[in-house]
Amino acid sequence: MVGSCIGVCSTCKSGSALQWGPRLHTFISRGQIGRSALVQLMNTTDINRTKDIGIGKRRYINITAVSGGGRRMRPTVNAAAIETLQKGIAEFYDESSGIWENVWGDHMHHGFYEPDSSVSLTDHRSAQIRMIEEALSFASISDDPPRQIVDVGCGIGGSSRYMAGKYGARCQGITLSPVQAQRAQALAAAQGLDDKVSFQVADALNQPFQDGQFDLVWSMESGEHMPDKTKFVNELARVAAPGGMIIIVTWCHRDLSPSEESLRPEEKELLNKICNAFYLQAWCSTADYVKLLESLSLQDIKAADWSEYVAPFWPAVIKSALTWKGITSLLRSGWKTIKGALAMPLMIEGYKKGLIKFAIITCRKPES
Amino acid sequence: MRLLTHNMLSSNIKGVTNGFPLLIEVEKVVEKQVDFNEDFLRNMFPKIEWKALVEASRTMGYTELPENAESSMLDSDEFLRKFHHALIELHLEEGALVCPETGRKFPVNKGIPNMLLHEDEV
Repeated sequence: MVGSCIGVCSTCKSGSALQWGPRLHTFISRGQIGRSALVQLMNTTDINRTKDIGIGKRRYINITAVSGGGRRMRPTVNAAAIETLQKGIAEFYDESSGIWENVWGDHMHHGFYEPDSSVSLTDHRSAQIRMIEEALSFASISDDPPRQIVDVGCGIGGSSRYMAGKYGARCQGITLSPVQAQRAQALAAAQGLDDKVSFQVADALNQPFQDGQFDLVWSMESGEHMPDKTKFVNELARVAAPGGMIIIVTWCHRDLSPSEESLRPEEKELLNKICNAFYLQAWCSTADYVKLLESLSLQDIKAADWSEYVAPFWPAVIKSALTWKGITSLLRSGWKTIKGALAMPLMIEGYKKGLIKFAIITCRKPES
Repeated sequence: MRLLTHNMLSSNIKGVTNGFPLLIEVEKVVEKQVDFNEDFLRNMFPKIEWKALVEASRTMGYTELPENAESSMLDSDEFLRKFHHALIELHLEEGALVCPETGRKFPVNKGIPNMLLHEDEV
């Protein structure tokens, strides 16, 4: 609940502002909304319109607000909301990982392509491997191969197994999805990597590791799921060993210009729809990530926009979904997977409009 | 879950000052034979919390590890094999990892630990 505010959104009948998904709400306070409660509400949503109607001793406030999206790095939303989101993420991946693997293989991330190239479906797996290699290269990893790696948001372990094979390193993967963890371990065993990689069901916002364990902290397209970017980045930094590298590859929204307070309403609306389908909570910009890393005194921070290198990806995913194999798989899957599939054109729209960026951000934890 | 993983996991429940090492509740232990890799063991040795490994391996039914260890022991083939066996070949298939301060159990199913915290633990 928001402080002393008691009310129900007339649209979705939800009683707690902080449990809103990213959507538009009309929130009418039935009781007097305390100042601190209003401040808290404003900090976690974008208030479009506030109308203060005083009737006798009670104050009614009609607030039309959109939560999620926007520029400000949201402070922690309440734990219950995060738990609900995480359950949604787990279920989404429990349901859809098998289908993805069936059609695309064991890497659940974008491929890296030559700009403006035309690619066939068979090129995509090598493009996905190239993505891993390009990310490692961007971070200049080859100078000092890692020994202990953590794969944050590991999917079915594609990156973990690849890097374990490449470096002979040990890799720990964490995912919210028990189905993914099982599958990841099974694939590792099948590939003879069972002694090198292991997977846990765990929360990237509360990683079950002691401080400073990993030479390489790897987050390949999982950052977009994190409802609290500050906590997410804090945990990445905490588990990194002194001198260790952090590599984040993630979906961001465009950087804001100096005169902008937030994204435009139609931009937020597009991101909200995508959030809904893919169980994302919050978007931030590449610049926001850089600021977070700077605030933790991490060094050698580098960032790049790789949007042009991933352009063929979503059209290819859609094409694969429309094949006989794709359609039959989707029909056998659940509603969550289908909803995700239906949202794919929105990703293309987002990229085309320059709203969605495919970003890489890397840095190093100081030695001491 | 093998003990190499156990040696890295800790309980980060809110308010817990020392969540390492996690205690082990055994329901099913499986031994999986893995090729011996001396370089790997030598590299890992300095990073291993030895007491935690000994305690955990005993809970799993393996009592061969010495109470204390130092790097000179790595020259002994016999020691390396025991180290290898405890670290890599013993698997907790079913059971739980237990927070040493709160007693909270993190289930282990089919060898995968579930370390997710509940909303009141973060």
